[in-house]
Amino acid sequence: MSPRGQDPTARNRSGNRLPFAGIAAAALLAAGSIWWSAAPLAGGSAGTRLSLIVAIVAGVLSIAQLAIVAAVPRDTDAYSPTEQAARRVAELITTLPWAELMTVATLALEALHAAPAWHTAVLAFALIGYLFAVHLAETEAGASVLRTQLSLLAAGAGLTALAVGASALPSLPAGPAAALLRVAAIVIAVVVAGLVVPAWLGRSH
Amino acid sequence: MASPVGQEEPRQLPVRWGLSAHARRLLTLALAGLVIAIVTRRPEFAGLAAPALLLLATWRTDRPRQVAARVSMASSVVVEGVQTSVRIEIHGLADFWACLVVEPAETVTAGAAVILPSGKPDRSASLRLVPMRWGRRSLGLLMITFSDRYRLTEGRVLVRLPSVNCRPRPAQLTGSVVLSRLPSRLGEHPARVTGEGGEFAGVREFVPGDRQRRINWPATTRQGTLHLSTFAAERTQNLVVIADETADVGEPGSSSLDLVLRGAAGAVTRYLAARDRVGLIIHARSLTWIGPGQGQRHASRLLDLMMASHGGWDRAVSLTRLPRAALPPGALILVFSPLLDPLLIEALRDLRERGFSVIVVDVLNAEPHHGRSTLSKLTAQIWRLEQEAIRFSLTQIGVPVVHWDGVSSLDEPLAPYTRRVVVARR
Repeated sequence: MSPRGQDPTARNRSGNRLPFAGIAAAALLAAGSIWWSAAPLAGGSAGTRLSLIVAIVAGVLSIAQLAIVAAVPRDTDAYSPTEQAARRVAELITTLPWAELMTVATLALEALHAAPAWHTAVLAFALIGYLFAVHLAETEAGASVLRTQLSLLAAGAGLTALAVGASALPSLPAGPAAALLRVAAIVIAVVVAGLVVPAWLGRSH
Repeated sequence: MASPVGQEEPRQLPVRWGLSAHARRLLTLALAGLVIAIVTRRPEFAGLAAPALLLLATWRTDRPRQVAARVSMASSVVVEGVQTSVRIEIHGLADFWACLVVEPAETVTAGAAVILPSGKPDRSASLRLVPMRWGRRSLGLLMITFSDRYRLTEGRVLVRLPSVNCRPRPAQLTGSVVLSRLPSRLGEHPARVTGEGGEFAGVREFVPGDRQRRINWPATTRQGTLHLSTFAAERTQNLVVIADETADVGEPGSSSLDLVLRGAAGAVTRYLAARDRVGLIIHARSLTWIGPGQGQRHASRLLDLMMASHGGWDRAVSLTRLPRAALPPGALILVFSPLLDPLLIEALRDLRERGFSVIVVDVLNAEPHHGRSTLSKLTAQIWRLEQEAIRFSLTQIGVPVVHWDGVSSLDEPLAPYTRRVVVARR
């Protein structure tokens, strides 16, 4: 505690500590997702550059949105014209769904590249991670709240792996490899069902 | 008087349910992945949508339309700058977390958001609020957000917080101005005349009829005849506080009206604590007053009068003679004013002519805005000279004017008058 009896840690308008870690994690995952879906830039079809610009702008503004919501006070007392203009800009940033826009732009970037299936699966994990980081930073909750959703996340990862395998099947020659992949797909489907059904049944508890 | 406020019984409030922001983002990811999978015929994009779809599958459909809530406060009377708390009780929606966030009204600050975990059918919390300016005002709105365990569903309830009567923060005042002549009422100020008080006044010769318990034996032994101790009589003092509410100039929060009310509240509190009889005159568009009295209930009446807008005795605006009924003879008059109203200045001159001891606490902390032109500067100079002339003219007729900035204690400007008895002159 500081000499005046106040906690020196930066706090937001709700009086809680600012979620620096959550915002930093969201920023890293957003940057990683955009880079992963855009590289190589020359390999994209028409519209890649536009999608990249939209993704970068939306990503930056989604992080700015988190920072503004967490740190800027909502006092309505009189301000100078400059402060009022800054307040209008902040309101505009916090009103629009930048995270959704970045997600769509990143998926479009990925679709414009002829990337292998596993490449898209990695992007799926990065985007889910980004959305959860945004959620945690927004609600100022700890990572422990994800514990209840671990089974569903694991099931989702299994389904993504299944989709990657399904897309690889046509290119595989008939033989033991294809048979092994089919068996693995069945096992994954069963495991996914085993993870999802209890979570779905217990969603009201 | 302070009384508890709020609802007696919990009230049923409608809950507006919807997708949380997290659910909207997951839905966007899932839909975008599925659309791209169909358009590009790439199944891996459907797999990309799978985790989001699975998470959304836990969306709850059993959501009650109403919840019972009760808002209450310990007292409807609060003091500006002093923390108060509002108690909220929620009955129902035990499966949902509840996040309580106060949207405070203007000049009210709220504490941190409170989160009530799920699991209990009856939950309660205390929310901290600090009203920053006096007046009757609403504390704001309370937003209760219910969310399920996966934070996909959100139900919102809006609750209006109770209105409070926020009294001005009393200015700090530890000393008190005491007149040399006090009315013959029992009190706590030692008077110049002898009486039954506790303060030693002198020694005199014993006369038949005097109480033997007051015999001063050392003096008796020295003089050889009976002598006894005399004590000062203890009298009360009548104080009338005049609060000038005709002008409100300066920065909100430290305007002249803020200082008038805080200073008047400080004086009322201090003198009533010293068992003096205190009255109050509000000089505004209308003139209202309460005659001198004592006790906590009287203090409450005086402070409520400061908050009241209109009421009581109402006369023409051109009134320059304050009513006799509000001014007991020999009372000390303490005036809190920015001295901008010529009618009040005229009334103060009249008070002095009527023989009252008047002290003016000048609370003017602002000047009119002037431009940079020569004419504006000249106007500003004339305005300042006029203000100085007003204060000088009052001082000349025996009305001391002291300036109070509202930051320091009231003891500082009143120090020359609290250190010794003020001689009441007629």
